[in-house]
Amino acid sequence: MSKKVIVHSIKFQKFISSELFAITAFLVGISIFFGMYEPKFLNVTNWYNIFRSSCYLILVASGQMVALIIGGFDLSVGSVMALTSFTTATIMVKIYNSLPNLVVLSLAGGMITGILSGMAVGFVNGLCIAILNVSPFIVTLGTMSLVSGIALYATTGIPIYGMPNIFNRILSTERLFMLPALFYLTAGIIALIWVFLRLTKTGRYFYAIGGNIHAAHVSGISVKYIIIIAYTLCSLMASLSGIFLTARLNSGEATMGAPFMLNSIAAAVLGGVRIGGGVGHIEWVVIGALIITVLSNGMNLMRIESKIQTIFVGLLLIGAVALERLRRRGIYGGTDHQ
Amino acid sequence: MIKQIGLSGVKVNILIMNSLLPITLVLIYTGFAIAEPKFASLENLYNILRQSSYLIMLATAQMIVLITRGFDLSVGSVISMISVSISLVMVRFLQQNPYAVVWAIGLGCLMGLIVGLAVGSFNGACISFLGVNPFVTTLGMLGIGEGFATTLSGGFPISGLPNILTYILSKSYVLGIPAPVILCMAVLTVIYFILNHTILGRSFYIIGSNRKAAYVAGLSTRFNLFFAYVLCSLITAIVAISLTARLGSGEPALGGGLMMQSLMAAIIGGVSLNGGQGHILHCVIGGLFVTVLSNGMNMTNVDSYIQMIVLGIALIAAVFVDGYRRRIR
Repeated sequence: MSKKVIVHSIKFQKFISSELFAITAFLVGISIFFGMYEPKFLNVTNWYNIFRSSCYLILVASGQMVALIIGGFDLSVGSVMALTSFTTATIMVKIYNSLPNLVVLSLAGGMITGILSGMAVGFVNGLCIAILNVSPFIVTLGTMSLVSGIALYATTGIPIYGMPNIFNRILSTERLFMLPALFYLTAGIIALIWVFLRLTKTGRYFYAIGGNIHAAHVSGISVKYIIIIAYTLCSLMASLSGIFLTARLNSGEATMGAPFMLNSIAAAVLGGVRIGGGVGHIEWVVIGALIITVLSNGMNLMRIESKIQTIFVGLLLIGAVALERLRRRGIYGGTDHQ
Repeated sequence: MIKQIGLSGVKVNILIMNSLLPITLVLIYTGFAIAEPKFASLENLYNILRQSSYLIMLATAQMIVLITRGFDLSVGSVISMISVSISLVMVRFLQQNPYAVVWAIGLGCLMGLIVGLAVGSFNGACISFLGVNPFVTTLGMLGIGEGFATTLSGGFPISGLPNILTYILSKSYVLGIPAPVILCMAVLTVIYFILNHTILGRSFYIIGSNRKAAYVAGLSTRFNLFFAYVLCSLITAIVAISLTARLGSGEPALGGGLMMQSLMAAIIGGVSLNGGQGHILHCVIGGLFVTVLSNGMNMTNVDSYIQMIVLGIALIAAVFVDGYRRRIR
């Protein structure tokens, strides 16, 4: 009896000092703060809004997480979203205009082209990083410039209109049981990624490579192949988010993804994903993305300029990693030189 | 094929790699000159020299942290932030004391250096003392700088800077050499001296090639790393001041592409991403290369979006070459 209580209390203490508890408490804390400061924040419609707009960041951040887990990162996610938005909208409008009766074909054609174009970018990223063994930093910085250049040149910066209405309705305004349909879709995708990372060999290899790439190589994992898969997956998630955002805006925009680069990395890092690889839980990343969305929603309601929000996101990003480092130093002691 | 000859073959290979960039530079220059005769004019050559001096300085700043095996993503947005803040200081000061132009300029420059020092100390402290990854720190700083630049200025350029600032820092000539080039040479000389003839500078190289060894050898790695970021941000501040002087206004979007261009100049020039390697001359040639490329594309009316594509490809190509270079060594 007493043994059970002790075990429980140890478990409870462990939970209290865990990162999961810290970020959940932070999320609840800022929600309470915004709720007290601005009662509108607690409205049902506002939470509906938060759930809907968090979906985009959740998707990109979980893709970013995959890149972070294998020990890299992806700066090109924002431009992948822009490219996807452009290709999806263009193809969809073209098919819809020539065959107005086959709406399904235009939807499918547009979305498949968008996803393929996004995945192509990820594939190129992975190829450069894996085969040449160069820093993901420079490769993705290069593709960021390259891909957004392509999207901007092709559209000349002008939004693309004329997609079938049903695209916007299904993926943005449709509700199921009080919540946006997009929310369920995102939840489904996240569940799939969870299963992929937890239960498949390839998913476990991501962690192995991020933990120790040489050990992974020696133990027979085809490291290059897995890295290419990881970056392709990352871009796939970004392009899904790009498609959903295109549906919400009801237009294809080549200027769309810019803030997602910083925000996705911040969300992933807030969710406890370690820069350098090997550690990352998708359910925590969802909380991280929710934190960023709540923060920007609350600040919007408080009429704080949107650009000040980037200051907070930047500080939050540095602060989260600094705290984590300090905590680890506290546990293991001494200095750490990597 | 050459490799099989043996040691001398390796030497030949290194020689080829080292002369690859100057040859490409000359080829590109002649290519643009044929396509657009105006490109080859003396006036444009001066223009290229002036433009490249900013980029070379910035590439040097980037190189210092690259040597220590870090990088600074925040240079661009810090330039915007400094440009806006020094313009605000100068304009406000001139509104109250319309005749104290020299004081206004002095105060503005001081302000810029202080902001640079603050940013560098923040970056350096987070990276060296708290042990936060340089990527995260400078990415966060990128957001912070961008936020400050746009909020302080409200998103609009700040005009009303004294003309004499533009004259001194941009338009004047000393012995027939444009002022920015003089400034660039001065900065490069100081940095060359620091990197090659001081303990601090040499420690950057050691930290970059093997941080543990540097620590064991008794270097205070944390302090040295801290100063690398401070130095980087100070040079960034100098570039920000002279760019603001050149435009004659404080621009919240001044630094937009500079982060990428500075990295590109350094890496194309031959500074290694893996730390421990880098020379001033790398930055000079890399900066010239990027400037000639973008100036030439502007002169031949290449679409600015196409320029983004070309620069992206050039960056990735530079990494290809860097990887190959490492494999030879």
